[in-house]
This record gives sequence, C-alpha cells and structure tokens, in this order.
Amino acid sequence: MKRIRMIALVAAGTVVASALSACSGGSEDGGKDGSDGPVTVSVMEFQQSRIDAVAKLIPGFEADMKKQGKDIKVKLVADPLTDDQFKTKVTQQLIAKQAPDLIDIGDSLVPGWAGAGYLAPLDDYLKGWDGWDHYYPHIKKAMVRQDGKIYALVHDTGVQNLFYRKDQLTQFGIDTAQPATWDDLISRLEQIKQKTGGTPIVIPAGTAWGGSTWTEGFQPILGGTDKNYYSLETGKWDLKSPGFRAVFDLYHTMYSKGLLPVQDLENPNPWEPTKYVKFPEGKIQVSAQGTSGWKFDWGPQGKAPIKGLNEKVDTWQYPGLRSGDAPFGWSGLGFGYGIPASSPNKDAAMLLAQYLSTGKPLADQLVSSGAASPRDDLADVKPYADEPKLLQAGKDLATSVYVPTGDGAEQVAQAVAAATELIINGKADGAQAYDAFLKNATDLLGPTLVKE
Amino acid sequence: MTTIAATASAAAGPTGQASPKRRRRRTWPVVLLLLGPAALLIVVFILAPAVYGAYLSLTNTQLTGFAARDPQFVGVDNYTYLLSNSEFLASLGRTGEFVLYSAIIGQTVLGMTAAVLLARPWVRGKGLVGAAILMPMVVPEVVASLAWASVLSNNSAGTLNRLTGLFGADATDWLQVVPLASVVVVNIWRGIAFAMIMFQAALEDVPGELIEAARMDGATALQIFRFVTLPLIRGPVFLYLLLTTISTIGAFGLVYFLTQGGPGGRTTISAIYIYERALQFSQIGIGSAASMILLALVLVLGLVYVRLAKVEV
Repeated sequence: MKRIRMIALVAAGTVVASALSACSGGSEDGGKDGSDGPVTVSVMEFQQSRIDAVAKLIPGFEADMKKQGKDIKVKLVADPLTDDQFKTKVTQQLIAKQAPDLIDIGDSLVPGWAGAGYLAPLDDYLKGWDGWDHYYPHIKKAMVRQDGKIYALVHDTGVQNLFYRKDQLTQFGIDTAQPATWDDLISRLEQIKQKTGGTPIVIPAGTAWGGSTWTEGFQPILGGTDKNYYSLETGKWDLKSPGFRAVFDLYHTMYSKGLLPVQDLENPNPWEPTKYVKFPEGKIQVSAQGTSGWKFDWGPQGKAPIKGLNEKVDTWQYPGLRSGDAPFGWSGLGFGYGIPASSPNKDAAMLLAQYLSTGKPLADQLVSSGAASPRDDLADVKPYADEPKLLQAGKDLATSVYVPTGDGAEQVAQAVAAATELIINGKADGAQAYDAFLKNATDLLGPTLVKE
Repeated sequence: MTTIAATASAAAGPTGQASPKRRRRRTWPVVLLLLGPAALLIVVFILAPAVYGAYLSLTNTQLTGFAARDPQFVGVDNYTYLLSNSEFLASLGRTGEFVLYSAIIGQTVLGMTAAVLLARPWVRGKGLVGAAILMPMVVPEVVASLAWASVLSNNSAGTLNRLTGLFGADATDWLQVVPLASVVVVNIWRGIAFAMIMFQAALEDVPGELIEAARMDGATALQIFRFVTLPLIRGPVFLYLLLTTISTIGAFGLVYFLTQGGPGGRTTISAIYIYERALQFSQIGIGSAASMILLALVLVLGLVYVRLAKVEV
C-alpha cells in the first residue's frame, strides 16, 4: 500500500511540476543588467524587410559593444506577421511578461501599450543620449504621449500621400497636376473610370483592413480638415467634431460613384488585390500610401515591384476636403523601438535601440523599409543619401499634418472600420455611417474618454 | 475496475469482512493515481479559466489603454450591451445557420449516408471510399483551410473556377460571393468522417434479424431505415449531434483562415466575434461576456439533446 501511495504521490508531483514548468517562461538570458556576466538582449521584428535589415546590423552592434567593454549578445526574434497578428501576439506576451527586450512597434500601438503600463518610459535614457539632440523638434514633440512621457524611440517616419499612376493618367490625357480639392480629384477619377471601366482609387475602408482603415485611410483625410477631434491635454475625443461627418460623406461619394474597389476591400487581406496586384498592373490608378511605397511595397525588393517605379508613379498631397482646406501630406511616426516594462535588460536594450537609430545602421534600415529619417544628420549618410524620394519625404515632414492621439485610438479605429463597412456594403450613406460611428464609438470609449 | 475490486478484496483478508470505510481508505491512492492527473488538468485548464472568464465578464477589463491598469466591476453591463448589440446578435444568428447547415444537416446526413452505404455487402471498394472520407479528418485544420482557399481561389487557376470554366463560366471569387455557403461546405467536408465512424459503429449493433424480419414483412429499404434502424441508433445519433453542435459552435480556425469573418461580416460567427472583441480590440470583459452567453447556449442545447435522446453523458 505504501508503494501505491508513493506512486500516486510521484505521479501527482510530476503533473504539478509539468504544469508549473509549462506555465513558467524560459529564460535564455546569460545575465541581467547590473550583473557581471554577459547579457543577451532579444529584439523582435515582424516585417521581412526589417528582419533582413536588422539581422545584418547585429554583428556590428555586438562588436561595437565589445569595444566599449560590454559583453552584449543579441537574439533576433524574427516573426513575420501581419499588423493585426503582431498586435494580438505581442499584447499577450506583454501581459505575460514574456515579450522580447526590444520591440519594433508601429506608432499606432504605442498609446494602448503605454497606457496599460506595458512599456517602460524612455525619457531618462534619451536625456543622456547625444543622438537625441539630432531628432527634429516636431518629431520629438509628436513622440510624447498623454502622460507627458516617451515610450518608443521613433527610428523611421514617413509622409502619407496619394500615389498615382502618372504613366496611365498621361496616356489617358488626364491632368496630373496636384488636385486642389476632392471635387477636382473625384472629377479626374470619374474620367479614369470612363476610360477603363474599373475602380480607380483605393483608400483603406471597412473591417477587413483592420486598424489601418483608421490610420492609413480615414485619419489622414480627417486630420487635413479637422485637428480638433482629439485633445492631448484632456485626453478626450470630440466625436462631434465636424470633420468626421465630412470624411464619411467623402467615402460615400466615392462609393456611390463606383470609384472604390468594394469587393477587394472586403477581401480578408484587402491590400493584396489592391496594392499588390491592381495598382502594379495599372488597374487601380490612385492609392493612399505612405513613403514606404517607394521601397517596401513597390520597390525592386518590395512586395509587388513596379518596374520603372520612379517614372511610372508619382505622388499628390491629399486635396482639401472642406472649404478653405489646402492640400496637405499626413505625417506618421512610423516605427519606434519600445522596451517592455518587465524587461530585465532595459539598459542593454536601449543601447541597441540607440545603435539602430544612428548613422549607417539607421540609413540601412530606412532604405530597406522605405522611410524618412526622424533625424537631421542622416542626409549625407549612404545609402539613405542616394534615395531622393526618401530625402524629399524627410523634407516634407516639416510641413505635414499630424494629430497625435492617445488612449481610445483602438476603439475609434474599430468604430470607423465598422461605419465605413456600412458604406462599402451600401447599407449607409455618410450621415447614417456617422450616426452609427457616433453611437458605437461612444459605447466603446466610455464616458471618461469622450468630450461632452 | 476489475483490478481495483480484486485489490480491495485481497486486502480485506481471508474473512472478506473489511468495512466499506476501510476499503475506501485503502483504495484512495489508486483512485488518486488514476483520476488525479486528469482532474488536476481539468481544474487548471478548464474550470479555473471558466471561472476567471465568468469574473472577467462582470468587469470592464481591457488588454490595452489606461483602462487595463484598473479594471472596474460593472455588474451585468457587458451582458446588457451584448444582448442589445446588433453585431453580436447577428453573429449568433450566423452561428445558428452555420451549425444547422454544416453540422446538423450536412455532416449528419452525409455521414449517415456514407455509413449506411458502406454497411451494404454489395458495395465494392469500401476501403478506398472509407479512406477517402476519413482523409479530411486527418488533415490539420490550417492545411485544410489553405487547401480550400486554393480550391475556392478567385482567379482562374482556382480548382473550382477551372471546373466551372469547362462550362464557359467566368472566374468567381467564391469566398466573396457566397462566403457562408463556402465555409459550410468546407466544414461538412471536414466533419463527415467523424459522423461516419460514429454511425458505422452504431449500425453494427443493430441486430440483423430485425432487419431481415422487416424485409420479410415487405418493408422497403427506406421504411426499414426509418422505422427499424433509426430508432435503434437514436442514442448514438443524438450523441453525435450533441458533440458536433458543441464543436461547430466553437469552430474558429477553419472560418478564420478562410475569410477572417468577412466579407462585410458575413461569416463573423460568434467565435470570431469573440476573438475580435477580446483580442483584436482588447475588450476582454466584453469578449468574456460573449463567451459566457455562448457557453450558456451550448449548455441549453446540450440539455435538450440529452433529454431528447435519453443519452447518459
């Protein structure tokens, strides 16, 4: 009997041990900050071009650290994911305190993660870093979050514009000058439609495009006509700000005139048939797109290369939407390096972030992903110095529009996606979509985040 | 069971007079050994998360934003919100359609048909047919989804479009044009095997003499199936319906990989709605409440099935 009890005890112990082992996170760190041993710092990238770029830079960082007497190794966590997959996965990792030490984050994710306390503030590190003085003042200002702190060191930026097929418009005899107003642009789009019978413009809309319907579709147009929809001082959203209704009306106008590729927008991966197939093939002539279009999307090593890109494609700024609006470019903070609050290797992670955000390593990444520099000392650094489109985007940043937002951006993005979905499904006009948005966003944000 | 009884009997000694209390005390280590690990796993991975989910459903917990730092108890607000939310109610409706067409009608009818046919002595190539039907169950869910994404692909290279192209039809984007019907077909394809196996096993237990007697009385094949076979296998049929209903209500991967709930939310069944709310939009409180509502519906359906079949579960 004793033997049976012993077996039972061992079996129960094994199960408990296994469960605890499964629940605990493995640590591959050779050492922690402050200890004498070597430190292994992990860095996560989720886009292939960024993975490739950072992988090449790691040996240089390790050698640089060695020269400074620091034994820091880098483990690249290369995990190619879509934006939504990345967000879902890393959010779980951050909650479980299992996230890599350094994460390359799209700016739209920073407010939510910083607000939840998942990211460490970087202000103290930045104060003591000489590279910080070279960041453009407007970029520095845009990095500051609702609580006055900085949580991600931006290393690439860009300007969102309307990319258009100059070759085709010229062939059709359609004006390629900057359209001053949306009415002007829509008139040209209708001419294109008459010539091709297709749907000439793609702007993210609907739920399939995820958060990008807000960040790459709706928000840039909204920001150009109305900058009062969010207040960083109060942390509240003004859902009754007039720009919202104007943009919903614009979406409905484009839908009702048959200018949007509705079926493609409802594809599970709507960017594929639109940006990666029809725009390169010339079946869509205008696309809302950030600076990365020159490299990441349509460059020679991009997702869907367009031969002779610089000759065939050019950009317009967004036209004015309401009376008195002037054409504008929308600047985005792009990607930045964030450090989880739970990381045991913050100092080493910050050293890596600073290395990757400086000089040649930064220039290599900018060219790889197709982005503009947030710093004033990169214009002469090759290979970035050889990229006129990226250099121009860097110059345009200073005059571009940007409205920093904070807590609740995800909920607003969700409500905008659902409301634009109603439009492209033919279930709502601009007014009805706005009403649906107002109700949904108010519900989702709750009373503390909505201006009375 | 025999071993335990034998062990207990031997332990009682030559008189065999050990009291039940003493016998229980002596056998508990074995019971613990056999049931303990499973019970522990159930508690840790099923009961505890379910209880925690029920708690979360009463809070406004979020995964991101300032609200994530200080979740508040909100009572039944999440439930009130969901039960008046047209998107959630629509997802429940779509889940009902999905279960009805793919599990209750599709898998059950086709699985039964396959089982009955393969039980016929005159059917040739049973092994081949059986293997073909079983294959979808063996294929991992992701692989199955990718294979069907290729079959239903919107370009002319898609397998289905190639077939319809033989009759002069234009290429169609099936997952866009008929999304729910497409995922229903895929789920039927994947679930037939399990139905067939269960029904085959049940049919083997039907006494041959009853069938023979009915046949001699002049009953047609359909009448024999309706009035003799079906009543005799009622228990397994309802058990299968219970299992397939539960698993289909919780179906996620197949639909998500094929359509991600689109286009326009036309395949956003409840599991996808919950995923979007809880993980994509970070509203874990609302997502948990939606899960609890779904759990309640499954429990009610389960009770109905058990009552109808008088199945012991």
